[in-house]
Amino acid sequence: MKTRSVVIAVLAFVGMIDALYLSIKRNAGPIPCHVTRGCTDVLTSKYSEIAGIPLSWFGLAFYLVIFSLAVFTIFEDPKQPLQQLTNWIFYLAGAALVVSALLVGIQAFILKAFCEYCLLSAALVLTMFLLTPHPGRR
Amino acid sequence: MSKALKPLIVIVLAVAVAAGAAVYLSRQPDQPAETSAATTRADVVAFKGGGRIRGPENAQLTLVEFGDYQCPSCGAYHPLVKEILTRYPQQLRLEFHHFPLISIHPNSMMASMAAEAAGEQGHYWEMHDALFEHQREWSDSPNAEPIFVALASRFGLDTNKFMQGLRSPDLQARILKDVTRGNDAHVEAVPTFFINGEQVHVKLSMEDFVQVIESHLHK
Repeated sequence: MKTRSVVIAVLAFVGMIDALYLSIKRNAGPIPCHVTRGCTDVLTSKYSEIAGIPLSWFGLAFYLVIFSLAVFTIFEDPKQPLQQLTNWIFYLAGAALVVSALLVGIQAFILKAFCEYCLLSAALVLTMFLLTPHPGRR
Repeated sequence: MSKALKPLIVIVLAVAVAAGAAVYLSRQPDQPAETSAATTRADVVAFKGGGRIRGPENAQLTLVEFGDYQCPSCGAYHPLVKEILTRYPQQLRLEFHHFPLISIHPNSMMASMAAEAAGEQGHYWEMHDALFEHQREWSDSPNAEPIFVALASRFGLDTNKFMQGLRSPDLQARILKDVTRGNDAHVEAVPTFFINGEQVHVKLSMEDFVQVIESHLHK
C-alpha cells in the first residue's frame, strides 16, 4: 500500500497545484486553453461556483485532505496500519469521482466547452480512486 | 522527532511548494498575468483596418476587443467595457473585432452577422449591446434567428433587409477578416483586449479596468 500511497500523494499534490492555479486565475482575465477550447467559458459559467464559492476552492480542500491522508499512510507504523485512513481516501475519491463525472457532463452537454484544467482534475480523481483498494477487499 | 510530526512537516512543505508552483505558473507569460496592468506581448500589434469603432476618432487610447457574442465571459465583460467608455469619453475609444468561436458557440457567427446586418442600417452598436444583454435568451436556442429579428425590430430596422443581411456573403467575409486579424494577433481566448496595440489582461472588475486605462493614459 505504501507505493500506492506515494502515488496518490503525488497525484493529490498535482491536484493542489491545479486547484490553486485556477483559484488564482479566476477573475484575473481570460484563461487561454492550450489543448481544449473554452476554458474561460467553463471557469466563468454559473456552474463554476456554489453559493459564491469557486469550485476550485472545494477542489483544493479535497486534494489537501487526500494528500494529508496519503502522507499519514506513508508514515504509518507497519505493525499498526492506519486502515481507516485508506478507507477514507477510497470514500472521498469515490465521492469526488461522482462530482467530477457530473462536471465533465456539464462541460460536454450544457456548456459545450472544455477546460483542460478541469479535465486534468477529473483524470487525477479517477486515477486516485482506481489506485485505492476497496475497503472490503483487504 | 515524534511520529506525527514527520507527516505534518511533509504536508506543510508540500502545501508551500504547491502554492509557490501555482503562483509561478499563473505569472508565466503567454498567459493572463495575475497583475492586471501587465502586458504580456512585448511587440505592439498593428491592426490594419476592420473593427467597429465606438468613441472619438482622435482618442488617446484605442481599446481593441476581440469578442464572441455567445461567449459568457464576453457578456460578463460587456458592462465593464460600456462603463469604461463612459468614464473616459474623450480619451478612449473601442474597436470591436469579431472572433466567433464557432466550434463551441454555434450561434456566435449568426450573432456577429446580426450585428453587422444591423450596422448596415446604422444600428450596429444598439445590436451589439442587445446581443450581449440578451445573450441568455438566444445563446442556447436551436433557432436564434427569430430572436435576432425581434431585437432588430425593436430598433425600428427594416426586418426584411436585416434578414437578407444575416445571409450576406459580404458581411460574412467582413467577420472572417476580423477572425484572420485575431489569428494574426495570436488571440487565444475571448475576450482578448489590446490597448494601443499592446495586449492587456483585465480582471473582471471596474476597479481593475480603471487601473489599466489609467496606467496607459500616463505612459
